[in-house]
Amino acid sequence: MNAYLRTLIDFVAVAVVIAAIIVVTYRVQVLMRVKREAATGFALIMPWLLGFLIWTAYPLLASLYYSFTSYNVFQPPRWVGLANYQRWFTVDPSFWPSLRLTLLYGASSLPIGLALSLGLAMLLARNVRGVGIWRTLYYLPAIIPGVATILLWRWLLGTNGLLNTLAAPVYTVLKMQPPSWFTDPRFALPGLVIMSLWGVFGANTVILLAGLKNIPQHLYEAVALDGGGAWAKFWNVTIPMVSPTLFYTLVLGVIAAVKTFEPGIFIHLTSTTTGTFLQVLVWSNAFAGGNSRMGYASALGWIMLVIILVLTVFVFRSSALWVYYEGERT
Amino acid sequence: MRQPVAPAAQPAPAYGSVHEEQILTQIVTYILLVFGALVVLVPLFWMLSTSLKSADELFLVPPPLLPAIPRWANYIDVWVIQPFTGYFLNTIFITLLAMAGEIISCAIVAYGFARFRFRGRDALFGVLLATMMLPNIITLIPTFLIWRGLGRIDTYSPLTVGALFAWGPAYIFLLRQFFMTIPREIEEAAVMDGANTPQIFVRVMLPLVKPAILAIAVLSFTGNWNNFQGPLIYINTPAKYPVILGLYAFSESLSKEAPKWNYMMAMTVIMSLPIVILYFLAQRYFIEGLTVGSVKG
Repeated sequence: MNAYLRTLIDFVAVAVVIAAIIVVTYRVQVLMRVKREAATGFALIMPWLLGFLIWTAYPLLASLYYSFTSYNVFQPPRWVGLANYQRWFTVDPSFWPSLRLTLLYGASSLPIGLALSLGLAMLLARNVRGVGIWRTLYYLPAIIPGVATILLWRWLLGTNGLLNTLAAPVYTVLKMQPPSWFTDPRFALPGLVIMSLWGVFGANTVILLAGLKNIPQHLYEAVALDGGGAWAKFWNVTIPMVSPTLFYTLVLGVIAAVKTFEPGIFIHLTSTTTGTFLQVLVWSNAFAGGNSRMGYASALGWIMLVIILVLTVFVFRSSALWVYYEGERT
Repeated sequence: MRQPVAPAAQPAPAYGSVHEEQILTQIVTYILLVFGALVVLVPLFWMLSTSLKSADELFLVPPPLLPAIPRWANYIDVWVIQPFTGYFLNTIFITLLAMAGEIISCAIVAYGFARFRFRGRDALFGVLLATMMLPNIITLIPTFLIWRGLGRIDTYSPLTVGALFAWGPAYIFLLRQFFMTIPREIEEAAVMDGANTPQIFVRVMLPLVKPAILAIAVLSFTGNWNNFQGPLIYINTPAKYPVILGLYAFSESLSKEAPKWNYMMAMTVIMSLPIVILYFLAQRYFIEGLTVGSVKG
């Protein structure tokens, strides 16, 4: 009970302070003869602006600084230059396997997931009966809490799990032992990909379906008039028209893949052989088991940020080649 | 039934084959859709079925599809193993408080960005959109250190108070899109009636963007309900755990020899059920929140 009360007091106090700052910002601007409209607008965005400064801009700079220090919270940070980065790249045995796992996980689950989602969305965009019911159904896995999904799949992909039982005939044909997915370095990645596909393909389907529904019918009719078949319609109308939506899901997907966390916590992967997710390494160095290597963990955070930036810049650059924006002709 | 008489130029069989082809594609479409539905439903069925099995049935080969006798007592046992009543109260407290903070602050900020011209507005909005791409790992450690400095570790404040600073640039973006579709005449009329900005915002604008508010309400509810990393880092005392940390604690205690997957699955059902119910009640808003960013943006 006390824990609730304490947070409620914090919450109300901060709310009052933010409200006061909004009012003061407005008044000060009016005194400075700023137009009322401008003064109101700037005052109203104060909650976000303050939040940006306190919870984004400052932490961004602070973590960059920490990444060059040795910092265990109890003693002040001590400058060590590039030592943290050097240790990640050359000493820590969990870095390269984990980088490989994280990147391979993104590189396989994203394209397969988008292809499946697009296929399914195209099926639903035809005049199928009960689109609403199918959509409700397919979206269901995305609603299930991520943690529940992971635990469910840990059970399904166990050595005696349902998937191995269902796939038993396949194993017999291939003359192989049923794999114990997550504990076998060769099967951990496919297992993680299967799990993530189940979790997200429904959400992406719904997003892509909305994009497909926006395609004007006359474009398809024009292709048909020119004698184009289903293939021509797909390449010349569907793909260009849905490419902005694909682009949006791809960008978000890249970021989400690099910062994958929960599967690595709930599934015990061996960080030095299979590798684990990079963010799990950040967490375990900074918070887990009495560790508080804040500087070392911050350095990995920055390495991940750079990876995300490089990948998104790459996606953005490539978008000129394949993303079609209406009203933009070059 | 009279068959239409085919004109001489186009012989009747051509019509027939086109028709057949259509039926065929329809059949294939439905087969694929049903297959997709099975992929979704079989794991969920297995979750429910496992949660009702007795410990002896867990590792039978082949596993029985359904328990011989559904063991509802699993759900009671689970409640004894982990004090879920307390965990639920904690989760509800965190979720509702963070949700309230998020909705109110995001609505105010979105209104400011949507309706008023001021210097630097577009640049600031660009910064806001850019923060959407920033992974939270990078801010995690300094944020933790701020809360630690304030003596707020092992309290709910880090999980809720930050929401007042318009957490969630996506929500601001979504609400701004809605505010921008409202004709200016409505506000101008309210000004003529002598209403001031807070009055216009609360009495005129908010009711008009109700669908968007509900959309971010369901998104925010699920987001906070399912938040794992936050509680994992900030909450240490078991009595203060939200449901999700109860699941984590139990999953870590699963023994290698005889893991109690029936209990584990019962817990995942308990954790998921409120969200699934919300989804079926407010489905429209889930879909709205999900699709608006991609299509309108």
